[in-house]
Amino acid sequence: MIARILLGYDGSGSADSALEFATALARAFGAELHVLAVARPPEVGDDVETLAVVENARSRYDKLLHKVRAKLASESIKTQFHVVVGHPAEQLVRYAEAHGIDHIVVGHRGHTLFERWLIGSVARQVIAYAHCAVTVVRART
Amino acid sequence: MPMIEIWTQATLWIALAVVAALLAVGLRIATALSEIAVGILAQLVIGVLFGSALLAGDASWIKFLAGAGAILLTFLAGAELDPDVFRKEWKRATAIGLVSFAAPFLGCAAIARWVLGWSMEASWLAGIAMSTTSVAVVYAVMLEFGLNVTRYGKVVLAACFITDLGTVVGLGLIFAPFTIKTLVFLGAGTAGFLVLPKITPWFFQRFGGRPSELEAKFLMLWLFGLGALATWAGSEAVLPAYILGMVLAGSVGKDHALIRRLRTLTFGLLTPFYFIRAGSLVSLPALIVAPAAFLVLLGTKLVTKIAGVYPVTRMLRSPRQEGIYTTLLMSTGLTFGTISALFGLSKEIVTQAQYSALVAAVIASAVVPTLIANAFFLPRHLLTTTIPGEKP
Repeated sequence: MIARILLGYDGSGSADSALEFATALARAFGAELHVLAVARPPEVGDDVETLAVVENARSRYDKLLHKVRAKLASESIKTQFHVVVGHPAEQLVRYAEAHGIDHIVVGHRGHTLFERWLIGSVARQVIAYAHCAVTVVRART
Repeated sequence: MPMIEIWTQATLWIALAVVAALLAVGLRIATALSEIAVGILAQLVIGVLFGSALLAGDASWIKFLAGAGAILLTFLAGAELDPDVFRKEWKRATAIGLVSFAAPFLGCAAIARWVLGWSMEASWLAGIAMSTTSVAVVYAVMLEFGLNVTRYGKVVLAACFITDLGTVVGLGLIFAPFTIKTLVFLGAGTAGFLVLPKITPWFFQRFGGRPSELEAKFLMLWLFGLGALATWAGSEAVLPAYILGMVLAGSVGKDHALIRRLRTLTFGLLTPFYFIRAGSLVSLPALIVAPAAFLVLLGTKLVTKIAGVYPVTRMLRSPRQEGIYTTLLMSTGLTFGTISALFGLSKEIVTQAQYSALVAAVIASAVVPTLIANAFFLPRHLLTTTIPGEKP
């Protein structure tokens, strides 16, 4: 049984596809849907700018989640929305453990070679470290 | 200088700033870092193709914009302080902050003097440039772990301000001539720091909130005025700027709309000139020919920072992995490191080769700890206790 689903959401095309999938899954299982957006500081940060980046990302995700909340308002499923700061994979895994999540849904999009070398793909890291099942949804082309 | 030359140079510098900003977005790194890198490469490429005069980094208008950028950026860094937390935890924060400043400061100065054979003044400057930390980077780490609301997180964050205060005080006073001018500067500065927290909120309430942006003008009036006084006294303009930021953190620092507008002015126009100029003064050939100084300084900074700070995080009962992570990221300090190095070059305390080694070590001290932290502690550390059967 799936009682709690966690969706990693960043407003991208693949995240929207993941949202559709997670909503359908929650509907089918009567599960609670947790939507998590992660404001990500620069990999190599500096004074003042790092704070500005985090503030901007938080404000952007607050707005994005507000839209998602409105979109899901007509659904009968129970939802929770959170914005946290950090590395997306780490925060998703940490949240899933803390909230007893049964299934994680994430979108997958391309990364630059540098990003892959530096931190790896978010989806790949979530799959590697999550304690529960993970579904990776690609954007529709 | 004819206006046509100024506009052409301005176009070139802003084009470099745009390239740097795109690089920062693509690589997910601080814009300051990409601007320094673009400055280094631009000087090299433009120098070879068209001659080094084209970039004109020593033009007085570029120096002014760059200097104003350093002052405003330092002010904004100081204004991030949480005065309530600082009032509550100042004793612990001061102890940790001083250790975090003193260990790399003394360690790097000693290594520069006795291992690299630098002059006494150049060694002190190396110590200052390597002593810095980046409050915002540590703050982001605290947010990640949810430690920003704990006593540990608050103490460490407040301590970062003390470390940077140590850096700007060191920069402002170690090389000052200590004449009557120094006393005038310190007296006027102290009076300003006592009076401004009282009159600024009143002034903003009475006259602020208008399209004329009186708040920004009022702040720049004091920043430039105290900066001029500091320079006249043989000190450094970022010293009063940082302290002014700290004393106004409870009023100006909490006005998020004003801080955002100041960031727009600072990042949009001023700091690109500062960091690109700082990069353009780096001699890449000198660095490649003699990389020892850079590597020695980088290693010393990391070792002394960890030796000084990590035991303190353990004393504060930080979880082991998070303590290491915090300590590693306390080793980053691009802004104040670059400001210190450029101060040394402009005052002829260090040579261009020494400046190049310092800037390279400052850059590497921002990059290397992040790579180590990500490689070893992210996100594996979360799972060492949670995956059944997996060895930590």
